[in-house]
Amino acid sequence: MQVNSNNFVSLAEIAIHKPELQEAVSEGTRRAYEKRAKAMFADSHAQGEFMRQQAYEAKRRALRNLPEVLETAEANLQANGFKVLWAVDADEASRHVQHILKKHHASTVIKSKSMLTEEIGLNHVLEDGGIRVVETDLGEYIIQLNHEVPSHIVAPVIHKTKAEIRDIFMRELNMESTDDAAEMVAFARKMLRRDFLNADVGISGGNFVIAETGSLGLVMNEGNGRMCTTMPDVHIALVGIEKVIENLQDYATLNQVLTRTGTGQNLTVYTNIINGPRREGESDGPDDVYIIFVDNGRSEVYGTKYAEALSCIRCGACQNACPVYRNVGGHAYGWVYGGPIGAVLTPLYTGLENASPLPHASSLCGSCKQVCPVDIDLPRMLLDLRYDLVKEKVDNKWQLGLKGWAMGMQSPALYGFGARSARFGKMLIGDNLPSVFGGWTKYRDFPDFAPKTFHQMWQERQKGKLQ
Amino acid sequence: MSSRDQILGRLRAAQKPFTDVPPVAERRHMVPGVEDMGPAELQARFMQELDLLGCTIYCPRDNQDALNHIVEHLGDATSVLSWDDDHLPVDGLSDALQKANIKIAEFDDGEAHVGISGADAALAATGSVIVSSGPGKFRTASLLPDIHIAVVDASKIVADFETWAASQKAAGLPAFRKSSNTVIITGPSKTADIAQILIKGAHGPRKVHIVLVNAATS
Repeated sequence: MQVNSNNFVSLAEIAIHKPELQEAVSEGTRRAYEKRAKAMFADSHAQGEFMRQQAYEAKRRALRNLPEVLETAEANLQANGFKVLWAVDADEASRHVQHILKKHHASTVIKSKSMLTEEIGLNHVLEDGGIRVVETDLGEYIIQLNHEVPSHIVAPVIHKTKAEIRDIFMRELNMESTDDAAEMVAFARKMLRRDFLNADVGISGGNFVIAETGSLGLVMNEGNGRMCTTMPDVHIALVGIEKVIENLQDYATLNQVLTRTGTGQNLTVYTNIINGPRREGESDGPDDVYIIFVDNGRSEVYGTKYAEALSCIRCGACQNACPVYRNVGGHAYGWVYGGPIGAVLTPLYTGLENASPLPHASSLCGSCKQVCPVDIDLPRMLLDLRYDLVKEKVDNKWQLGLKGWAMGMQSPALYGFGARSARFGKMLIGDNLPSVFGGWTKYRDFPDFAPKTFHQMWQERQKGKLQ
Repeated sequence: MSSRDQILGRLRAAQKPFTDVPPVAERRHMVPGVEDMGPAELQARFMQELDLLGCTIYCPRDNQDALNHIVEHLGDATSVLSWDDDHLPVDGLSDALQKANIKIAEFDDGEAHVGISGADAALAATGSVIVSSGPGKFRTASLLPDIHIAVVDASKIVADFETWAASQKAAGLPAFRKSSNTVIITGPSKTADIAQILIKGAHGPRKVHIVLVNAATS
């Protein structure tokens, strides 16, 4: 997907002036934030924190030995009948999918929710090749109808009100007018049922890959993900290389922490564990199941101080907790992932120069770290990214200014001259700072300097004492 | 070089992260306390959680009562998706359905109103039923119809996700891996994608009814 993150400030400004978005996002994130707290600490605060720590360790143990865990996963997946493919980048991942579709003469694809496929822009590639792609998660379905991208990791259409969604259904699919969300859901169920029964290929992401059993773990509530992985003859799962975990016990921990943190549920309605294509004697399930391990920037992050960003399990809690996200929504971040984790992943995956405002899109309040189910130190990484920004791509004017400042600060004569002339400078330019500094005074008064500098006052005081 | 080797090579060449993470010392369960419960308590907890999820439950007195109840529960349905008798913890369901003039539909019949499955296990802590696919145990019975009836043997209730995962390991992972699909079902299909309004019945069953056979009577 194209990166538009350098326009964060203007995108945020647009979002702040949309009353529907403000209402939908603030209400949606607030509710999710509360549900998470209730579910994680249902037993006690200490228990919830212990489980976070247990999840933290499970995920990092797998990442520590990532190459070996990936190899174990691959061997066990293959033994279960999965066909395992690897993709270095977005292009290669899309090419794999295209080849598979061609091989199976597929023309219609049903998809369950996958942020990775958003990341690699899969839908556009497939549609350009004449494939009909149907998003089947209700939120994603609405977004696809409205030609948008998801604005939240877990709740893709969190930025829309019920009335807006009704209007989309009416405009795009001639739904009869209703204010009842249940009727809208029933309408979508009816519309999508045909595709579930007739599509050639189902595409999903993956929440976890369990190395010791060669299993793909998916969480879902609507059942669309089960449809996509059960009804068509072919299932393709695209999974980031960081999604592998070691064993079933870790899976039990991580899966429950994910659902409690993401949606406030003890478990999602369906915890779907896929062990490959249907076996002899089974009447349903796909004949072929492909799993594509996608790198797309992850291995570049692996050995760095940002490695812990790879332990993210995509629950969306940091988005719900973030005061910036709560005000601007996900689209302002200009790429796939919004909120604190997006402010870290976007520069890491697409290049710091393509997302330079994002590390600053945070008040560093620490709420994101506090709610993270695997305790990712997001504020620390945001600060480190700011440091990298300064180190790697400071522009010359700024550096020149800093040099001048350093010179002035090191010479008492220059400092005194500067301090004395500031007042006259202010008198010359008035209340608005010129050129690049103008942004500062747009909404603020530029105060007058004191009539005398501290040095002058000190000298006068000393003279007085002597007399 | 293949993409696989390129990716693994890059990871191997990088400095290994998280070397300070300790080995597993203690594994706690997400919901503490349930793992210590006896069968009667587990059953009570299971039923309580089902209720919170909006599932309905019936504990038949005997096999005949179970059959009568299931047929009655089908209401006006003329066809059902049903697992083979061998995989259901009631005897003679297909005969009972035939007698009631209810057709057993093919697994991919999108019109069937009710699906009947067994359960390989159930989780007390979360009110979940676990169904694994296999010959005669098709996946669609718990997915396509409006109503899913799961016939669960009370002896299959275990404490929680962690206990179930450990039991899979203890039984030998090949058995677990033999099913192409295992799904832990926790309540009826639902969505909250429209303005966080919870709606039951998205794409899967909107009602889940549990017939708990061999239940302990209190």
